[in-house]
Amino acid sequence: MHDIADLERRGVVGAFVATVEFVDGADAQARALGAEPAAVFVEHPIQDRTDDEMRAIAEGAFEEILRSVTA
Amino acid sequence: MMAGVGTLLAVVKADCPTCTLVRPVLDRLDVEIVSEDDDAGLERSWHLGIDTVPTLIRLDDGGAEVERIVGWSREQWEAFTHVSPLGDELPPHRPGCGSKTQDPSLVDELRARFSGSVLRSRRVDLAELEDEHEAMFERGWTDGLPVVPPTEARVLRMLEGTTRAPDEVVALAPPDLVECTVEKVAVNAVMAGCRPEHLPVVLAAVEAACTSEFNMHGLLATTWFSGPLLIVDGPIAERIGMNSGINAMGQGNRANATIGRALQLTIRNVGGGKPGVVDRATLGWPGKYTFCFAERTDTNPWDTLAASRGVDGDAVTLFAAGGIQGVVDQLSRDPESLTRSFAACLRAVAHPKLVIAFDAVLVVSPEHARIYRDAGWDRARLHAELAALLQVDGSDAVQGAGGIAEGLPAHLAGVTLPKFRDGGLLIAHAGGGAGLFSAIICGWASGDVGSSPVTVPIGT
Amino acid sequence: MTTTRTVLDPTSELVPAGIPKVERPATIDGLRVGLLDITKPRGNVFLDRLQQLLEERGARVERFAKPTFTKPAPADLRYEISTKCDVVIEALAD
Repeated sequence: MHDIADLERRGVVGAFVATVEFVDGADAQARALGAEPAAVFVEHPIQDRTDDEMRAIAEGAFEEILRSVTA
Repeated sequence: MMAGVGTLLAVVKADCPTCTLVRPVLDRLDVEIVSEDDDAGLERSWHLGIDTVPTLIRLDDGGAEVERIVGWSREQWEAFTHVSPLGDELPPHRPGCGSKTQDPSLVDELRARFSGSVLRSRRVDLAELEDEHEAMFERGWTDGLPVVPPTEARVLRMLEGTTRAPDEVVALAPPDLVECTVEKVAVNAVMAGCRPEHLPVVLAAVEAACTSEFNMHGLLATTWFSGPLLIVDGPIAERIGMNSGINAMGQGNRANATIGRALQLTIRNVGGGKPGVVDRATLGWPGKYTFCFAERTDTNPWDTLAASRGVDGDAVTLFAAGGIQGVVDQLSRDPESLTRSFAACLRAVAHPKLVIAFDAVLVVSPEHARIYRDAGWDRARLHAELAALLQVDGSDAVQGAGGIAEGLPAHLAGVTLPKFRDGGLLIAHAGGGAGLFSAIICGWASGDVGSSPVTVPIGT
Repeated sequence: MTTTRTVLDPTSELVPAGIPKVERPATIDGLRVGLLDITKPRGNVFLDRLQQLLEERGARVERFAKPTFTKPAPADLRYEISTKCDVVIEALAD
């Protein structure tokens, strides 16, 4: 999240993708940074997913990711 | 309550030998003890403006203060309380101690605790990982240079520089036409780096800038160079440490630098007038960060600029300034020759072929001013002589004349026109004692579509 | 006790306080999109699919990777991304 906050400061439209496990951590980091980068949360866990499942997760999150970086 | 005495209050603190000394006396009197050692007493002491303890205060039936005495003096206390004898066993007098509310290490905190609620601006908490200076930049609150973070303590201290209430509306700030309060000006004045004693000048400048005559909105939106110039007159200038001498229009003096900047930040932050958004200047110029100086009085051959415009005493004149043109004249010894130099240079304001549309300020430096003083030329004489020299022959100025497409409409070929409109040329006095240089400050479009200079008194 | 961490808002307060985000483009068609892999396992599969989907929408995608997910990206990498990308998406944290 620090990276996205930094890149936004440099004028790059940014968003990060994390699993829902990360929601609280994201909140705390955002509060500490004073910035709230665009975030998209996908289902957890991901470590034990097959490649096909990972691709499906990407497809499922795609529209929301697009929305987070376009007007 | 004793007849004829009203209600008595005694403000004390434990860590004060005199307060301890008079305790038996207080016990014998019908007096309400306000102790600075508890929160309620400390707050009350703050609001009562107590400098010294013990302080004895008489209130009337309505609770308003009638009078007060400080320290211990048997004679004074007997007269004040109508009780005699008082404190026989005590020494005849003993000075008091500093009130807790005056403790330098506590003042800011107390002010924030007890007076902080008068502040209405939204509080913005900076995140723990944010650098407080970067935070100002990231929120778009600066003009590109760092600003002083406007904490409650700083803003409250700034507000002590004015007698006006924080929630008083100073002006409607363009372009958003938002109510700009004394408090908002104070917040921006803190950011600019002002001291509390500078605030009254900033308040007057905001007022002047937001008048329809000055037309701050138009000034912001134009592609022309100009930004507000503040020329300060009156005893206040020296009292608050402004510069009217060497490098008066340059850097280095805190009052000059921060007062001009406070106006700029207020318009940008409160009014919403930011570059690229509403501010469309093609090039702009550095004077848009800040441009503020005081007129010099000791070498001024004339009245102040403000007085010549009908405002005596402490005053600020706002002018839509677009840049400085230096004028060299190291050889003229008489006013006629010097005035011709000025006229020749003034002819070039905006463009030699353009007339009436632009205003200007001629800042005459001390060495040049002496020539006028020695010859006995008053302000009116100089204006008249300049006007005569600045008659422009239409045939030289029309479009195409001199091979230059720019110029006046063709039908003015046979007409003689003044370079400046009536009241379009201002004459001011400032600068160091050495240097046969004066300055011309170009204005913006004058009149209804442009901006007219505005002079207002500076209050408290 | 007031701290230096609270300041007063100097603006007209017509908009919410906070650090504004970079203005979003209308579409990613034709834009340079960076995908920043935080290099946790499986993230690359996710990003591969994301890249395909983005390219279908007309984006020109470039891939970047952090040396480790335990620290912010090195300054050089952030600089490189800032010069090469209009948009950046960082993934996939768990």
